[in-house]
Amino acid sequence: MDTELAEVRALQAEIAALRRACEDQPAPWEEKSGVQKSFQAIQQFSSEGWKSSKDLKSQLGHLESELSFLSTLTGINIRNYSKQTEDLTGTEMTEKSIRKVLQRHRLSGNCHMVTFQLEFQILEIQNKERLSSAVTDLNIIMEPTECSELSEFVSRAEERKDLFMFFRSLHFFVEWFEYRKRTFEHFKEKYPEAVHLSEGPSSPSMVIRSASQPGFELVIVWRIQIDEDGKVFPKLDLLTKVPQRALELDKNRAIETAPLSFRTLLGVLGIEAALESLIKSLCAEQNG
Amino acid sequence: MEQTNPLRPDGESKGGVLAHLERLETQMSKSCKQSEEPQSVQAQEGALGTKIHKLRRLRDELRAAVRHRQASVKASIANVEPNLAVEMSEQEVLEEKLENVKAVLQAYRFTGLSGKLTSRGVCVCISTAFEGTLLDSYFVDLVIQKPLQIHHHSVPVFIPLEEIAAKYLQTNIQHFLFSLCEYLNAYSGRKYQADRLQSDFAALLTGPLQRNPLCNLLSFTYKLDPGGQSFPFCARLLYKDLTATLPTDVTVTYQGVEPLSTSWEEQRASHETLFCTKPLHQVFASFARKGEKLDMSLVS
Repeated sequence: MDTELAEVRALQAEIAALRRACEDQPAPWEEKSGVQKSFQAIQQFSSEGWKSSKDLKSQLGHLESELSFLSTLTGINIRNYSKQTEDLTGTEMTEKSIRKVLQRHRLSGNCHMVTFQLEFQILEIQNKERLSSAVTDLNIIMEPTECSELSEFVSRAEERKDLFMFFRSLHFFVEWFEYRKRTFEHFKEKYPEAVHLSEGPSSPSMVIRSASQPGFELVIVWRIQIDEDGKVFPKLDLLTKVPQRALELDKNRAIETAPLSFRTLLGVLGIEAALESLIKSLCAEQNG
Repeated sequence: MEQTNPLRPDGESKGGVLAHLERLETQMSKSCKQSEEPQSVQAQEGALGTKIHKLRRLRDELRAAVRHRQASVKASIANVEPNLAVEMSEQEVLEEKLENVKAVLQAYRFTGLSGKLTSRGVCVCISTAFEGTLLDSYFVDLVIQKPLQIHHHSVPVFIPLEEIAAKYLQTNIQHFLFSLCEYLNAYSGRKYQADRLQSDFAALLTGPLQRNPLCNLLSFTYKLDPGGQSFPFCARLLYKDLTATLPTDVTVTYQGVEPLSTSWEEQRASHETLFCTKPLHQVFASFARKGEKLDMSLVS
């Protein structure tokens, strides 16, 4: 009897507790605390999320236009950049209030058809008087790798650890490269029979032949050079291929002096006009 | 006793469950009251047993009800979450893109030219360096209007900014900035060489280094052997090309009264060549090294 009574009391207590629990727990659709609070929090987050998402979108748009401006200005399109910092300050240095930090940078991108990947280190030393920053290591990987002029320039930039010169010269080199390509393409289009580009429009030389004068060939070699200081300039040369007989007949030594005359012509007419006049002179009969 | 289902759908459940519970409770208290009436012990025991039975059933139903409510709350949260997941990942994508763009913008300073768009136009930052050592930066704030104007800038007054602007600013911003870059980098480089000479090789200088703000005219006297008896050399470096970091005209003269011996004359001439072809502080670094070699030979 006693145990049963005890059980009755226990059951009644449990029931009372369960009834309270039933009342406390709101159904999800009820406006009560607990779940609703967290639900409200979620709602707030998502509405703030939408707000900041709009902010994010406009911020992103603004920064992307900044990026596009810089890319147009420098001619360089950077796609990826990452940086790591390592504090090299030893305890001795801290005592003398000297701080040494090594930064490792990695960036990649392209300049028209040339893609580059740079890895470089900058060592920052801060002492009482000044902060000095120096590039301590520079590694450059470029594609395409065939351009010999470029590879020489790249090794020089790496040796000198000259980042700025690398980017500026790369930009001008590519500009000249594209200009050469456009010019050669233009002439190929205008004089399809006379003009031959051995390696396509990207080749460094253009051959002029005339069907009516076989054996004669004018080769214009157009190199793009980068000097010690990183200045980019074109260097054009004329090579002639002439049958032996023609050489013998050439009393005025016009053929011998042709390369030199070509240089003068370049100076007077500029590249495009000079090339055009050469083509016309060889193909005079065809065009006449 | 009615077997009503306490788990009626939705809005009715609350009323449903509680109402049911109330009914059960009423029944319990009734049966309690009934059990309080004097009865034989056996009858009491029997009544108690039934009561326990009923109480147990009530408790079990309540437990089930509570569990059910917990489950439905969880379910409704779960219904909200998937949509939230989609919204958040779109945000995460945007945030990642933003971080990437910010990083790339930072990286542009390594090309020597970087900048920020402003409400009026653009503020361009020109970084300078000399042989791997990063030096000062300068800015030019451009206002986009016709004609293009320089709103303000931090270019030193002795750099021919107006000249360069007059030539290129209106026709080709890129050319203007690249040209300005050349001048500023060259100035920075010359200044750096002069500063290094003053700070690192003061021991070899016999007088103060004289320089103009543009650092394209330097004049100093120096001795290869500071403690020695020989007269010092006097050097004058002129950098006519403001876009260059090496001098165009160098004269090294001897300050003594007697004429120079051949070996000294050779040295003087070689110094002139050195100053023309190598950065100033590197020339002095080689002097310092030679000096060390000389000392070593004296010892042996």
